[in-house]
Amino acid sequence: MIEKQADVVVIGGGIIGISLAYGLSKQNAKVLLIDKEDPLLTASRGNFGLVWVQSKGEGMPEYVEWCIEAADKWPQFSENLETETGIQLEYAKNGGVEIWLGDEEYNTRVNFIDRMRKASRSGTYDCEMLKTEELQEILPEIKLGEEVSGGSFCPHDGYVNPLNLVKAMHKGFKLSGGNYYSGQSVTNIEFLEPGFRIHTENNSYIAEKLVIAGGLVSKKLGKMVDIDVPVGPERGQVLVTERTKKILPFPAGRIRQNFDGSFMFGNSNEDVGYNIETTSEVMKKIAHRAIRTFPFLKNLQLIRSWSALRVLTPDRNPVYVESKTCPGAFAVTSHSGVSLASVHSSNLGEWIIEGSHQAKFEVFHPRRFDVPKTA
Amino acid sequence: MFRKLHKNSETIKIWFEGSSLDVEEGQTVAAALLSEGHLFFRNSKISGQPRAPYCMMGVCFECMLEIDGQSSQQSCLIPVSEGMNIRRQT
Amino acid sequence: MKKMIPLEYDYTIIGAGPAGMAAAITAREHGLSVLILDEQHNAGGQIFRNIEGIEKTLNSEFRKLGDEYKSGWSLVKEFKKCGADYFSERSVWQIDKDLGIHHISTNSNSFSSSIPSYIKTKNLLIAVGAMERPMPLPGWTLPGVMACTAVDALYKTSGLVPDKDVILAGSGPLLLLIACRLLDAGVHISALLDTNQRFAILKASPFLPQALRSFSYLKKGISMMQKIKNAGIPIYTGIKSIEALGKSKFEKVRFKNGTEFIELSAGMLLLHNGVVPNIQITRQLGCEHRWYELQRYWEPVVDDWGNTSLDGVSIAGDCGKISGSSISELTGNLAALDTVYKIGAISKVKRNQFSQPHRKELSYHKAVRPFLDKLFQPGKSWLIPEKKETIVCRCEEVTVNDIRQAISMGAQSPDRIKSLVRCGMGPCQARMCGLTVSEILADERNISPEEVGYLKIRSPIKPITLGKLAEID
Repeated sequence: MIEKQADVVVIGGGIIGISLAYGLSKQNAKVLLIDKEDPLLTASRGNFGLVWVQSKGEGMPEYVEWCIEAADKWPQFSENLETETGIQLEYAKNGGVEIWLGDEEYNTRVNFIDRMRKASRSGTYDCEMLKTEELQEILPEIKLGEEVSGGSFCPHDGYVNPLNLVKAMHKGFKLSGGNYYSGQSVTNIEFLEPGFRIHTENNSYIAEKLVIAGGLVSKKLGKMVDIDVPVGPERGQVLVTERTKKILPFPAGRIRQNFDGSFMFGNSNEDVGYNIETTSEVMKKIAHRAIRTFPFLKNLQLIRSWSALRVLTPDRNPVYVESKTCPGAFAVTSHSGVSLASVHSSNLGEWIIEGSHQAKFEVFHPRRFDVPKTA
Repeated sequence: MFRKLHKNSETIKIWFEGSSLDVEEGQTVAAALLSEGHLFFRNSKISGQPRAPYCMMGVCFECMLEIDGQSSQQSCLIPVSEGMNIRRQT
Repeated sequence: MKKMIPLEYDYTIIGAGPAGMAAAITAREHGLSVLILDEQHNAGGQIFRNIEGIEKTLNSEFRKLGDEYKSGWSLVKEFKKCGADYFSERSVWQIDKDLGIHHISTNSNSFSSSIPSYIKTKNLLIAVGAMERPMPLPGWTLPGVMACTAVDALYKTSGLVPDKDVILAGSGPLLLLIACRLLDAGVHISALLDTNQRFAILKASPFLPQALRSFSYLKKGISMMQKIKNAGIPIYTGIKSIEALGKSKFEKVRFKNGTEFIELSAGMLLLHNGVVPNIQITRQLGCEHRWYELQRYWEPVVDDWGNTSLDGVSIAGDCGKISGSSISELTGNLAALDTVYKIGAISKVKRNQFSQPHRKELSYHKAVRPFLDKLFQPGKSWLIPEKKETIVCRCEEVTVNDIRQAISMGAQSPDRIKSLVRCGMGPCQARMCGLTVSEILADERNISPEEVGYLKIRSPIKPITLGKLAEID
């Protein structure tokens, strides 16, 4: 029975957990990161790697601003992390486009942008509609499919290699004095008033602060410290092709070309519970849409596929919450762990350690999901 | 690299990297190329190191070539055919 | 008159080697509708590769290949007549849980519109056989380093043999067989590097009495060893560390014999460290597998009819426990008989009755296996290269060092290692590196590979173009 002590224990070694742990340790906290690594639940390994602003945060303008802040911080964050660890993140910020097929999709998007603009606090929404010809102009090397009706371009968007990102942050975490314990499954959490003792099968960890970043497991973990973390799984499947000549300079929503030349295609949104199988129906749909967008893709060889469970809150926006009855225990969950890595490793750490930015994160509290009682 | 045990007069014409080769029918593209002394099939996408077929049974994927315009085909599984156009991939 | 291809079959067999062919013949005898898919141009699998072709065009070689080959030839003949729908040059790229089978031509350009690319089946037999156990060593990616069975395949399908001298390295019955074959074909073998463990025969001797029951195997083995000795081939035993050297292709091999290093030049280096079941399809399907400690490989968990943990899915031949062509045919027959019974064409009593002679013959052939498996038990240094810079994943050029580093970063599963260093992400989808990754992880964590597990294998089992994928129905 081993007991370890620290300032902060972070539960969950995926992108959210490691972003927080890395950021906290860079802010000179002594941090322990414990991780179970259940293959069914490792969302971070099934990430598409978009550093994205476009399309997010309908109904929550504060979240849109948060995304933009994160996107603005990303280039520096990436440079620092690369310099510190020597690991290439394969990050690029050339803007991003989402491509629409047919008039209906185009018009739906026009209306969406309009709504977002109206709801924003600044009166702007940095997403412009491009007609087919304009879209073709910014993609001179790729002939668009006949059904392409246009695209929506956002200058904040970028992309990164999400596996390298997680790897780099783990290395950065270690270099900053952080300790990572894998194969640890939390059995219960004791509130020591103040502080916490976290029990796993064979060990225990004591810390003043606790951060739950366990993805889909956060629900169960949150209960141990009286936090409601309303997350549920949504499956997404992704296809990956052979490496080929680099011609796509920025992601086209669900089509991107990695630094190594391979193409990746998503996405699907499936309500299938805890199931990470790939299915021929969805794979066919994804391939079909990709070809309708860029016909040249039809001759590329698909080499592999994967499937993972997104960690989604009811409105798909982040949840940041501190326990009321067990202060010092926090839960952080977001479907956009990659995009928000730059701020999760800075601003959020400050909130956890010092309690600053409190007001800013109020909007992300899960009480927003409480159904008001009828009179 | 390899020599034929028996000569067969019936050959067909295929193209490899722009040059024509007269090869026996009924063999795979990989075998035909090896029999004509072509050892280098591709360069590793990681380091560029030259690669050649290793397993000849569709397991190792070292024999991948572009055949008739289609990329990444396992040449050890595909029989040669008249006029076939074979290229290495960059 | 064009034959109507039914979209649903009673029995679909993947692999037209001895196991698959025997199963097809048996199933057809009892009136089942049978589809058999195979990647090769001709039936025969690996052992009887191109047997019809050899019989036609290389008759002199055919005679050299011996009696076992002749029986293979008649098996192929019988198979071709049995009435199964046989599609050659087809790769299966996905099998659904409801046994829908997605397959494509091995040649993306070939126009085969009359062959549906999706069929349903009531029962499935996976008979895809074995593959070479990866034998990673420094320089093994050099052109001119090939698997022994690759050269054997070139001989059988094209009548090609190495034109310069070759060095053979490794261990196992197939290594001996291929050495003899090369000698018969007039190839100069300049050395044989035997990687078998010292005193292997002593360690295997407890199984010898049982093995004597299938004496013909032992006799064959002894005569092969004798032939190699008589040819005057220098044989080096108890070797430590082999390195393939050369600038852009193989030029020479360097190995440690005792305390000294020896370098030998040759035209080619041929490697063989035994064969292992090809579990790519059974893994994609989600069958249960277990670790066979003695020969260090995974095999699907089956009952004695070859039924896997999934309903309607059975295996036969060397994609289960490695046993050779005779046992493959027998397990093919047994698997088919059980399916014929399950589908209702025969009673249980009849099934058991028909299976009796096969089971009897099976026990004869099986008697030698424990001895052979022990005798040719793979040594650790050939499973995990000692030199850390050795490439383990050929597709992504991931080294032993990269993998060990990922483990030191906290990776406790093969998939976690994959996400950190990319092993298994290339076109071969871990066929060449999967076993080694699990061995290294087991070694680092001091547990069995069984506990460590294997990389998750997904569709596509073989590459498919996006266009073909989008057109499936």
